[in-house]
Amino acid sequence: MLLNGARFTVTDAEANTPADTILIIDDEVQIRRVVRNALSDVGVRVIEAATGRDGIDLAAAERPLLIVLDLGLPDMPGISVCTEIRAWSSAPIIVLSARHSDAEKVTLLDAGADDYVTKPFSTAEFLARVRAQLRRARIAEYPGAADPLEIDGLVIDVARRLVSRSGRTIHLTPTEWDLLRAFVRHMGRTLTHQQIFREVWGGGAGDAQTYLRVHIANLRRKVEQDPVRPRLILTEPSVGYRFDRPSS
Amino acid sequence: MAIASTDPPAESRWWPAARWLLVVALTTGVLWLTRDALDKAHMALAFLLVVLAGSARHGRRLGFALAVACFLCFNFFLLPPYHTFRVADPLDWAVLATFLITGGVAAQLLYAAQRQTLIARQRADEIDRLSVLGAETLNAGRAEDAVVAIAEVIKATLRLVRCEIWMHGPETNGFIRVADVHARPMSPLPFDERLFGQVMDEGLLAVQPGGAEAVLTRHGLEGLGAALREHGDAHGLLIPLRVRGDGVGILGLVDQSPMRLDAGQERFAQVLSYYAALAVERVQLVADAERMHALREADRLREAVLAGVSHDLRTPLTTIKALAYELRATGDERTYLIEEEADRLNALVADLLDLSRLNAGALPCNPVIVAVEDLIGTALQRVAGAQGAREIVTAMGMADTIPVGRFDPGLSVRALVNLLENALKYSPEEAPVEVRFEREGDFLAVAVLDRGPGVAAEEAARMFEPFHRLPGGPPDVRGVGLGLAIARRLAEVQGGAVRYAARPGGGSSFTLVLPAADIPELTDAEPSPTT
Repeated sequence: MLLNGARFTVTDAEANTPADTILIIDDEVQIRRVVRNALSDVGVRVIEAATGRDGIDLAAAERPLLIVLDLGLPDMPGISVCTEIRAWSSAPIIVLSARHSDAEKVTLLDAGADDYVTKPFSTAEFLARVRAQLRRARIAEYPGAADPLEIDGLVIDVARRLVSRSGRTIHLTPTEWDLLRAFVRHMGRTLTHQQIFREVWGGGAGDAQTYLRVHIANLRRKVEQDPVRPRLILTEPSVGYRFDRPSS
Repeated sequence: MAIASTDPPAESRWWPAARWLLVVALTTGVLWLTRDALDKAHMALAFLLVVLAGSARHGRRLGFALAVACFLCFNFFLLPPYHTFRVADPLDWAVLATFLITGGVAAQLLYAAQRQTLIARQRADEIDRLSVLGAETLNAGRAEDAVVAIAEVIKATLRLVRCEIWMHGPETNGFIRVADVHARPMSPLPFDERLFGQVMDEGLLAVQPGGAEAVLTRHGLEGLGAALREHGDAHGLLIPLRVRGDGVGILGLVDQSPMRLDAGQERFAQVLSYYAALAVERVQLVADAERMHALREADRLREAVLAGVSHDLRTPLTTIKALAYELRATGDERTYLIEEEADRLNALVADLLDLSRLNAGALPCNPVIVAVEDLIGTALQRVAGAQGAREIVTAMGMADTIPVGRFDPGLSVRALVNLLENALKYSPEEAPVEVRFEREGDFLAVAVLDRGPGVAAEEAARMFEPFHRLPGGPPDVRGVGLGLAIARRLAEVQGGAVRYAARPGGGSSFTLVLPAADIPELTDAEPSPTT
């Protein structure tokens, strides 16, 4: 099925609701092909655009559930595509980056991208990120808002402010609780340090910013089984943190 | 080569004297004819007029001579008794003595006044020339033009036939002639590298007697006049050019006749030498700046090429890895190898890019407060793929307070990952790699220990050099020898280090040392309302 002449390619995968569509914006045919093939396992409909402009148009027309965006587009900077789509869509955006610095990744995440993978990425890792974002996109409410959340033996009851492992209650300080709640709310997303500050301290600067990493280390000691080998709160050095279900 | 002097030139000294003696004779004659009608004071005034006129015209010496001549004539012809040097009236002696003193003093005063005027005029000339020189030097667009302009002024001011300026190039350690101005074709100073070096380094003058070899004098620039007086037939002169005590080049002067410099010219030559030295230094600085610019440009280009290659390589590597993953479904084990090799290639390019940036000092470093557990945990997560069946044991004291440091988390994780990968490479499969942490004063020490073959003492220093691979390593160990070099540099840019020690019982111990930090106990935020 072809939309608007040759500009967009739309591939029908298995039976899905029309909303379960993933948009790939990438100028490289080969990358589009491997991403499409990788996503065939996920069971969604995949549509493609080769330029940023076409990608924005297609995102507006098709309202995809998730967008995979390459930063190295020929016609416009990836960050502009990201900002423009984010202005009217809340669909998760996963960025493919080639040689971009940590600072650029932070800028992208702050501009509304949800996650990024660096080329050459492994397909398994990429699919794990896609699944996490799709989970987020499909759940209207925050995870754990209705029922207690159980991840890797850790039970988080957001409504009752309770955390326990193997039936034993874990005592968190208010800051640690706010951090954990922010992580749960954005499960599967890479949060930049700035986003965490805004979420937990309301954007206020000061000691909190300086010691964010220490607060996280404290939280890990309480919720991780082995704080030196964390499985829930993962560090993206110089970028931020990601909270997710262990992939294996 | 002399400018206007206070005394008349030698060849014409006697002619004005004869002329003025004639004037004295004539005056005496007129006064003699009218001596009965004249008072002695009138006569004295007339003679005084002659003395003043003579000394005003021809200087102090003639003035004194005329005063004496007038004194004698006055006495002999005009004071009674006439035609003897005897004086009848003792008061006349007083008149004569007064006349002589007045004449002498007048001549001396005139001389002094004239001399002041002359010196003032010379000073004005010097200032004019120097200001012209300063303007020319500043106006010269290129540094080389300024040097030539100064050489022109030196040649014109000192009335030489040739002026050369040589620059010493520190990188070539040789002399280059940057200015050569001459009135008419004539042979330049013979170039003698050794002598030039001596003149510049020792700050001594060298003179070249007409037609002979140049010799070093024992005088520096301040002894310019003395050097020329000692070497009376100097046709050529080599002057060291120095700025702030460092030699920058040589000023070479050539004249047709033996050089003579009066005090003014000597001072002028000294000032001009300093100007020339500054101009030569400017040429050197411009050359240095151009060289630095070229080097930076080369660095930038290399960085751009590496970054471009790295970028262009990643897209096909992504495709290769993804295709290998797709083929995995067919059950072909070789697809794992394809992915591994693609990762190796990517890691190699990333290492080369890092090394290039480290060398250029272009790797951004942002130290922040980081928990040691976070550093170790992230590094362990990164090497999980390369770990294979090998075990990594961590020995961390779980003290109540979390040990923290102030360093760049991204750079430090890469350094630790490199050390871990190195240990995993050399460690036998059955022996676990150990990670230990200790606080050492103001530093954090994260040690990575393996039971590999260890490193011979003579190799210990060299193994941190890029592309150095240990001899006799297991043949299946891969890599090009960048891991340790990059780890050490990454630690060093953050004020840390990577240390090596042989591990007791066999194997190696590499320690990543990073700056520690002491933070106050964290004050927690107020409980926020439950959503």
